[in-house]
Amino acid sequence: MKFSPAKVRQELIAILSAHAQAGSTVSEKSHLVGDLGIDSLGVMEVLADIEDKFNLSIPDDALRDVDTVASVVRAIETRLQKEGRLEG
Amino acid sequence: MSVHQPRTVAQAIEDAASTTKNGYRFVEENTDAEPFFSHGAIERASARFGGAMQALGLKKGDRVALILPDNADFIFSFLGAVRAGIVPVPIYPPTGLGKLAGYLENTLHIVERSGAKVLITSSEIKLMLGTIAAKAPALQKVVNVEPLRASKEELSPAKINLDDVCFLQFTSGSTSRPKGVTLTHRNLAANVHAIMDLGLGVRDSVDSGVSWLPLYHDMGLIGFVIAPIYHKNTITFLPPLLFLKRPARWLDAISRHRGTISFGPNFAYALCVKRIKEQEMTGLDLSSWRVAGCGAEPIRAENLKAFADKFASVGFDPKAFVCCYGMAESTLAISFSKLGTGVNVDVVEGDKLWSAHKAEPVAAGAERAAPIVQCGSAFTDHDIAVFAPDDTEGQKPLGNREVGELRLRGPSVMEGYWDEPELTKNAFAGGWLKTGDLGYLADGLVHICGRSKEVIIVNGRNYYPQDLEWEAGNVTGVRRGNVIAFGTMKPHGDRERVVVVFETQVAGEDALHTLKADVRKAVQQGIGLTADDVVAVKVGVLPKTSSGKLQRAKTRELYETGELYMRTSARDVDRLDQVKELAKSQLGYFRTALFGSKPEE
Repeated sequence: MKFSPAKVRQELIAILSAHAQAGSTVSEKSHLVGDLGIDSLGVMEVLADIEDKFNLSIPDDALRDVDTVASVVRAIETRLQKEGRLEG
Repeated sequence: MSVHQPRTVAQAIEDAASTTKNGYRFVEENTDAEPFFSHGAIERASARFGGAMQALGLKKGDRVALILPDNADFIFSFLGAVRAGIVPVPIYPPTGLGKLAGYLENTLHIVERSGAKVLITSSEIKLMLGTIAAKAPALQKVVNVEPLRASKEELSPAKINLDDVCFLQFTSGSTSRPKGVTLTHRNLAANVHAIMDLGLGVRDSVDSGVSWLPLYHDMGLIGFVIAPIYHKNTITFLPPLLFLKRPARWLDAISRHRGTISFGPNFAYALCVKRIKEQEMTGLDLSSWRVAGCGAEPIRAENLKAFADKFASVGFDPKAFVCCYGMAESTLAISFSKLGTGVNVDVVEGDKLWSAHKAEPVAAGAERAAPIVQCGSAFTDHDIAVFAPDDTEGQKPLGNREVGELRLRGPSVMEGYWDEPELTKNAFAGGWLKTGDLGYLADGLVHICGRSKEVIIVNGRNYYPQDLEWEAGNVTGVRRGNVIAFGTMKPHGDRERVVVVFETQVAGEDALHTLKADVRKAVQQGIGLTADDVVAVKVGVLPKTSSGKLQRAKTRELYETGELYMRTSARDVDRLDQVKELAKSQLGYFRTALFGSKPEE
């Protein structure tokens, strides 16, 4: 299945909104921990949801480069691109 | 009754080498291949790693730091060092989420304090460590693990005695400095005997374990790497992060490999209840699982019950639960609940527990009933006793069902912290190790009520409030020295909520929102812990003693009752508080932990 950049953002925001602390709004600039209050266990859950949604496998060391929503978008897009599944 | 003959870990590795049927299996995330190493193969691989370390110039008694995220690398390096008489110092690998600065500081401290000459890690982590070698004077080399895998060096035999140091187990300290628990082969032999023979009745070569526990933590390393070598058991290892991402993989491994023994902290069982979906349970068969150990953090009976209820349909036996009490200073295990009895709860009268320090049994449904999980009795050759926390002589143990600090002695207890004479002295009272845990003995059975040291435990790791307060205090806008951090139990939650409260002159909703986010980030980056709640209060609101010391327990209480938000200044309420304070016991703040929220209602 292919995803457009807009679709990647939309799906990711839906996933993150389900895990973010009540009262926080997800934007590309949001910091997963500082703004959304997602803890390290929560991040692993988010990762599993992302893998399921985009049919991707994200290695653990990818976590080291992730802090904001935008950085997660980049991580997903890079992997979709590699598999030729990023539209546009 | 057979007499227990202690053996060194090195001897146990050699003794197990004739075993070709049992050994260690490594589950990986993205492949179905599960590499298996028999105990014979483990003996050979560890000899090569040990030989390679000797070739690096390491000699008996030298320390080697290990930061190895791959389970197989870690195990062979660790056992190789032990066989060469080199003292391994396991350090946890970085996990990401932008907390590298705090990680590096911690790692540097452990490397410096242990006096490690060599640090072995993966090439990827080596890059992240940067100039660590330049900062630790004793550290001569940072070595990549990859070439060691192919090493053909022979291990030169080293004479290892039971009283030689086997390895250093670093735990978080009360400041930001981790302390190295020094364990000898004699400590390990004693605790392995206690766990495997006395506690779990392990059948040599028959019982088979499954573990996702991190190997830099005592429960994973001693429980599932060292102990099974003594008893030639097969163990299936999963990467810890794989369990956290896909908890179902833990149960799947138990089911497929007919695991009989597996352990996890309380949160692991809660995570399975929360995360494992109905369709992931199809085909699961947990009927082989005879020991489901729970330890390393406070045990909540309702979490274990929820797990037993959910997985009863796939053969999980609630009698398999073994409730465990332990700490690194006692090698690993202190006491286990009796095999085959499941979770046993002692229901006591709450008010008496907190105000009179007495654990008086009441009926389960009674008002003020407080359920306390029972963790079994001391192992043979070990003693557990309860003392008043201020009893520095350790001469007058408290009586049956009297609440105080649990203390222990016996062959599993460490001799001390590595190169920390002062901390070591403070850890003991009259020959007893002070655990810092509050509890009582009922007919010799251990019951833990809470911790006396205000430690915050999240996912099995200890955090000290002082560390969080320090990080938050460095944020611009926060009044330095006027920050309080504490843990509080969510009503019916599976873990502690971490709260940071700080005083500030900053006003305005937007500015405060940004400031709170900055505090959360600072704590995350410095400590690697996510604060669940960050609260900004006006100057003068945080309660202080007459000498100006911040009152942590008091702040927690104000937070839990919601009073914190109503206070405008400490001054108007302080006198009344002082009177109330006198009337309360130090156990007062465990109310919420045991009852959930608002026990008064």
